[in-house]
Formats: sequence, structure tokens, C-alpha cells
Amino acid sequence: MSDNELVNQQFPVKVEQPGGSGNIFARVFDELTAFCRSRSLFILHYCTGCGAIELPPAMTSRFDMERLGISPMVSPRQADILLITGYVSVKTLKRVILTYEQMGSPKYVIGICSCTVNGGMYWQSYATAKKLNDYMPVDLYIAGCMPRPEAVITGLRQLMENIRRGEANGWQDYYQRYDHYLGHQQRLFGETWQTPTDVIAEAKHYGLFSNETLGEHTKLLQQHQKPLEALEMRLGLDSKDKVEP
Amino acid sequence: MRAENYEARNHPPSNEFEINFGPNHPGIEGNYALKVKVHGDEIVAARADGGYLHRGFEKLMEQRLWIQNIALVPRICVPDPAPMEVAYSMAVEQLCGLDVPERAQWLRVLQLELSRVAAHLFTFGGHAATTGMYSPMFWGVADRDLILDLFEELTGGRVYSIYNIPGGVRRDVPDGFLQRLSDTLDYLDSRLPDYDNLLFTNRVFVTRAKGTGPISQTQALEWSVTGPNLRATGLKFDVRRDDPYLVYDQLDFDIPTEEPGDAWARTLVRRGELQQSVRILRQVVERLPGVAGPIRAPIPNPLAWKVPAGETYVRIESSKGELGWYVVSDGSEKPYRVHVRGPSSMHAVQVLEHLVTGARIEDVAQIMFSLDACPPEVDR
Repeated sequence: MSDNELVNQQFPVKVEQPGGSGNIFARVFDELTAFCRSRSLFILHYCTGCGAIELPPAMTSRFDMERLGISPMVSPRQADILLITGYVSVKTLKRVILTYEQMGSPKYVIGICSCTVNGGMYWQSYATAKKLNDYMPVDLYIAGCMPRPEAVITGLRQLMENIRRGEANGWQDYYQRYDHYLGHQQRLFGETWQTPTDVIAEAKHYGLFSNETLGEHTKLLQQHQKPLEALEMRLGLDSKDKVEP
Repeated sequence: MRAENYEARNHPPSNEFEINFGPNHPGIEGNYALKVKVHGDEIVAARADGGYLHRGFEKLMEQRLWIQNIALVPRICVPDPAPMEVAYSMAVEQLCGLDVPERAQWLRVLQLELSRVAAHLFTFGGHAATTGMYSPMFWGVADRDLILDLFEELTGGRVYSIYNIPGGVRRDVPDGFLQRLSDTLDYLDSRLPDYDNLLFTNRVFVTRAKGTGPISQTQALEWSVTGPNLRATGLKFDVRRDDPYLVYDQLDFDIPTEEPGDAWARTLVRRGELQQSVRILRQVVERLPGVAGPIRAPIPNPLAWKVPAGETYVRIESSKGELGWYVVSDGSEKPYRVHVRGPSSMHAVQVLEHLVTGARIEDVAQIMFSLDACPPEVDR
């Protein structure tokens, strides 16, 4: 199937917005689903930078995040929220995108600290990836250097409210405008950048395939796509002389 | 990845395989990775993989004014930011020949020791969590928050206080602060038996930590190990005592040491240090009201402040080990070259790689936490 055929092909949209349906029963059911979804959230806290130090107080007895129904989780497959806690270097950003693509949809991204917004204090640095929402859709930013645990909890409550109202749709944006995000990623990581996840196939699966899913950057990706290789997992110890005692 | 692109990879017939610890792993403190090669559950080779937190501090500092760098330096080590500020301020003072008022020196000791207590409480929790015990972590974080409250009252910031500037400190203690500090110290003292019952005499913890990741004294000296990790091998070396700075020579405290140099000894040394820090803080509470005078030496206009040309090396004892600042000035408004000698880069790279080789896979996280390496300080 050529790219043009893929673009022109119409896919049924499975995801329905709460309140958007004409049928009152369907609407009530959608709202109930969104409400339940907003009340049980698992966080994957990727400790990318300084902001991670304010998460233990927020999670433990003093500020007690779990009373909101939000609890930490260590595996991306089980998580709903990706918490980017601060400064992201170019090397980290690859892993962040890898982690984000592993998470099951619907998934939400929160950027904590000024560094995720605009590079913060390290705006001059050669290693910093500024403006996280160029590379992945961010649903909510919690600004500050660093935000207090109260601010983190307020931000999470705001995200819950957004999910309940059906407004936290960054993950849909990633499928619908994949070419846009991939373009930014390729500009930073080089044209041969790829992850093991097939985002285009997922976009079709969720019925979120749009005109902007494919484009010049996805074409480039398909040219370079190699068999699945883990991301720099080789230890480089194949030859004898490299083995340390 | 398209399904048709999958190819069977030719794995050599071997019992060895590679595992990534981190950069996103609950057993790694921060954004840091360790690649290990395992045979069964024994590790045969390991390599530290840093760089995830690299920000280029030393380069950034060359592009900012001397006074602006004060805001940058505490970010180098997040759990224990105070020593960074103090050491940088001391380096600038040495270059300028500034004399710090005595009251400011006492206030700096107050901040340094509070920061050390907070950092050690955090480390206990992290170390306990790697052996499956989460209660000490909750306790440690909750008790650390009391100290963060004191920081907030004293400096306005919970974690990054930016309290020290070259020449002194920014603010004096608020009314009633010393009393509240004293109450917190009483509370911490009363908590130590609880910590002993929960953690330090816990059979699970003792059995897992004893004999794990041992370093001999000779190895420790060869690998430039400093701080509690060095004192856990029996060597009584502490910058506060052997090369006194601020007012540490007027204070009365012990240097706790242990012999075996394993994970257990390292944690026990930190417990002893926490007690000694509380002891130092009590002396500060007692003697600070008697030290009158200004809290800050007059400094020139910070926006046009030219530091005389020269170079200096300043070292202090942070909660992780010996922290050094090598600062070169060419007489302009900005530093010519800055280098940070962080203790963690030795602990988290060469020491960690050697210690985990031969260890079992479940001990990797514990060894890393017991070394108390701070990833942002490794990468800088």
C-alpha cells in the first residue's frame, strides 16, 4: 500500500469525546468512563533531574499523593502518567521518548520544573533539550525551580480535572501529528533515529490516523528502519582486552 | 517496527547476558545507568553509563557573572546543595581576600550541618528501600521534611536555598528559630532509637548489608574514596578536622569510623555522623547568640564585580565526601575556569564498577545506595 493510499484511507474513529455524543446514554457512559479514568492514575516518575527530590515528600506521609488515587509505578507498561521531573538532556530525551511510546494509551505527560518548559537555568547549555512539547505532547506543565510538593499535587489535581472533562488529549495529538513530532526528534537525534514502537500502526489501531500522521519525516524513518535493535544495550565487552578484572 | 522487518538475531550460545540498570530504575538513585553482564545471577562485568544528567556546569559558569553562579552551583548536587554554595563562596572570598564575619561563619556551619542531616536521612531511606523495606524510607523522608521546614524559614527555599554569597550569608536567623531548631534536634534524638529498632538492628537489613560490597583501606585510598565511604574502612580522615575551615576548629565532635568497609559499615558511619551533626548543631544553638556582629562583609557592586586574577583550590567535607572547587580568575567579571572535584564521580564510576563485579544481581542497588553517589554530581 503506498503512502497516498494510506493517507486517503478513512479509518473509523473509536475514541469519543465525553459530551460529544448525541445519544444521552452514550454520553453518560462516556462521562462515567472519563470520571473513573481520572480517579485511578499510576505515575511513572522518570527522575530526569532535580525535580525528583520533591517527589518523595509528595508521595509519602506528609503530602500523601495516594489519597488522590495516584500512586507511583515503576514500569511504563502499567503507567498512565509520565512525570518528567526536570531538566532533560539530549541523551535522556531518547530514553524519555522510548518510555513514552512503551506506555499504553490513554497516556498523559506532565513536565515539572522550568527546565522542561524552556531549558530553564540551562538555556545556554549544549546538552539541554529545551521545550519538551516539541518532542512529545505535554498535557500539563508545573513550572518553578523547583515546584513544591503542594504545587505538584495541585498540578495532578488539575490533570485529573482535565481528564474528567476530556481535555487531556495529548496522546491523541501524538498519533494525529506524528510527523511533526518525529521531525523535531530527527532534527535533534539525526535522520536515522528510530524507536522499536510502530507508532503509525498504533495510530491506525486507535483510529487516530490523520493527514498529518505521515509526511516527509515518516518517509525518512521508513527508509532507515532497521530490524529491532535495543537502544545501545551492548556492553562492548566482546573482545577479551576490554574485560575488567 | 514493521513485522516483516524482524529478524532472528544470532545469539551466541552462552549463559551470559546483559542487563541495563537504569537510567529509569527504582534501584538507581537518579538518572544514571549501569550496564552489567550476568552469568546466572552473578555479575561478571559492569560498566557505568553516565551522561544522562550532564548540564555542562563548568562551561556555563564561565559565561555568567561571579554572583550569578551562586544560583547555579547548588544544582550540582540536589540532595545536599549547601556545601556547593559554601565552597564556591569560600573560593571567591579567597581570590578577593575578603574576610567573612564570624557570625556568618557560624550560620554557614548551621546550614552545612542541617544539610548533612537531611542528606543522611534521605540515604538511609533509599538504602533501606533497596532491601525491600519502605517504612524507613517514609520515616526518613518525613523527618527530612522537618529540616526542610527550617531551611524554608531561614532562607526562603526548601531545597535550593541560595543562602550563601561571597562575603557572608544573606539573612540572619529569624526570631525563635534557634528554639525551633533545638526542638527539632530533640525530636531527631528521640527518633534515633526508633531507627535502630526499625533499620539498624533489623535482621533482614543486617544480613543483607553485612559483607556486601567490601572495600579495603588500601583500595579505598587508591580509588580516591572520601567521606563516610573512606571512614567505613577504618581511616579517620575528615576535612573538618584535618583541614579545618569556618569555625570547625572551635567545635567539639568525633569522627565515627568502622572497620569492615562493607555496605553495613558505610551506613553505620552515616548514622554516627548524623549523631555528631546533631551534637554540632547543639553547640551552634548554644554559642550563636553570643556571637555579635554583621552577617556579611561589604562587597562591590555585583554587576560590575571584577575578581582579582589568580587561582585557588578550596575543599570542604560534604555529606558524600571531600568536595573541592578549583577556580581560576583572569581579573574579569566572569570566572576563567572552574572545576568541581565531586566525591561521587569516584564512588559511582570506578568504585561501583569494581564492587558490583562478582556481586549478585540483587545487591547492585544496595551497593550503589550504600556508596551514596549523587548522579548529578557525577555528570555535572
